Amino acid sequence: MASTSISVSAAESPAFSFSASTFQKLHPVEFFRKFISQGVRPDGRLLEGFRPTTVHKNVVSTANGSAMVRIGGTTVICGVKAEVAEPKMDSPNQGYLVPNVELSPMCSSSFRPGPPSEQAQAVSEAINRVLKESKVLDLTDLCIEEGKAVWALWADVSCVSYDGNIYDAALLSVMTALSDVRIRKPTYNEGIIKVSGAEILDDENSFTLNLARTPLSATFSLFDSSMALLADANAAEEAICQGEISVTLDEKGQICALSKVGAASSSQTLLRQCIATARTRTDELRSIIRSQ
Amino acid sequence: MARLDTTRTSAHQLRPFSSSQNLLNRADGSAQFDFGGSSVLCSVVGPAEVKLRDEKLNKATLEVIVRPLVGLPGVKDKACERAIRETLEPIVISALHPRTLVQIVVQTMKDNGSILSTALNAAIMALLDAGIPLNSIIGSVTCIIDSKTNEILLDPTTEEIARAKSTHVFVFDNKSSIPSSTSASMDVDISNDDDGSPRPLFSESTGLFTEEEYLECVNISFKACQAVHGFIRTAVSKKIEKEHQQTQA
Repeated sequence: MASTSISVSAAESPAFSFSASTFQKLHPVEFFRKFISQGVRPDGRLLEGFRPTTVHKNVVSTANGSAMVRIGGTTVICGVKAEVAEPKMDSPNQGYLVPNVELSPMCSSSFRPGPPSEQAQAVSEAINRVLKESKVLDLTDLCIEEGKAVWALWADVSCVSYDGNIYDAALLSVMTALSDVRIRKPTYNEGIIKVSGAEILDDENSFTLNLARTPLSATFSLFDSSMALLADANAAEEAICQGEISVTLDEKGQICALSKVGAASSSQTLLRQCIATARTRTDELRSIIRSQ
Repeated sequence: MARLDTTRTSAHQLRPFSSSQNLLNRADGSAQFDFGGSSVLCSVVGPAEVKLRDEKLNKATLEVIVRPLVGLPGVKDKACERAIRETLEPIVISALHPRTLVQIVVQTMKDNGSILSTALNAAIMALLDAGIPLNSIIGSVTCIIDSKTNEILLDPTTEEIARAKSTHVFVFDNKSSIPSSTSASMDVDISNDDDGSPRPLFSESTGLFTEEEYLECVNISFKACQAVHGFIRTAVSKKIEKEHQQTQA
């Protein structure tokens, strides 16, 4: 946005010219607009194109369930760790499922060290709400002994490389890691909890989670007054886009969450278009998970 | 169908809302907004000095701080802060005050549901009170879809939200309520995809719902938002009238 006014005199003088990469640095928005007007993006994608996505299960051997997700240049790792905890007084037979997203300075220079940033907390909260409100996991499944002990599942998402669209990547990694979770069966006896010590885990000595649905998301960014809709924006695109629409769908096509933030208000046609594209995208993601 | 909130007779009825501006002495602007049993107090300071690392060369920095009713701010409040900031950023004409800070502090006073909507309405009233240049006025309402009756209920109470199958928060600006031919809006060109439908500026929905249910919620909330816009308009004109009388006296 800082960029439209500087080069008027420069443009008039024909002797003054610069390379594409210099132009991009000086006028990121104008540079981008030139691409958008031709219907492509600087990285070669079409406007509605998503970046190549890969999913790997069981990447952290010390976690109960884990997944690594790559969406283009964004890489996140999610590890789910099960811990025995005391239940809350008002929900004595319910366990915990707590997602947490970490955006450390390791993944991008735009993040500072210290307590979790507003963005990280907002993404954590968004995932938490999807898991809770669309009833992904029945928390009573995590009960060991009512009022005494329950499982607490910590789903920690760590971003290794940040290149935009962290919500899609984080949600995909959390859902894949949850489907990968295997917990040793506990036995409760007068305040002492014992878990099976078997080397090889099977259905006899351990259990998996019974997920009611798998919500996955697709995020779109709104660019400029021309209202170009960009699917799966990378970090550079996110920085110059003014709005974001995120659609989360389950396998039956029901919407689990929908958010729209930022400048330009969006018409129903646009929202319908987003939901339709999100349908195709989440179906594609599901087949990627299955083929894994 | 009777509502859980027995003070209301219809599903599309909002609770009585009220507001008062200029309550705080030391802030540049302040307002309290009430939706029935929910109340939020909001203060605005600005344009003020900005911390070096938050400074923006071409526009004012907007900072939103959300304080909960009890205890310290948590993850929920951070998410709330982000929602409010990202909604207000395009509304405030921040280019007029480069390298300054506009700080908005939102304090929940009473919580009986629809608190994000109450906070957004309080924030816009406080910005108006502070005289921060704005390019439009926003109004916000919350609605839910009841899990038992599948009915859309506007402005739900905490009790009603607990029974909801999905919750939707919407913000509409008053530009979208003007027919597009007369609104010569400078910053947003809406001619491209103007289908005459309500255009939410901010929307946050969670729970389980279908596309049709969502779009119905948009339409119903849009109508309700007109009442909020009207209210804000009246509040502002009354305030200006009063100030004018005071300067005359």
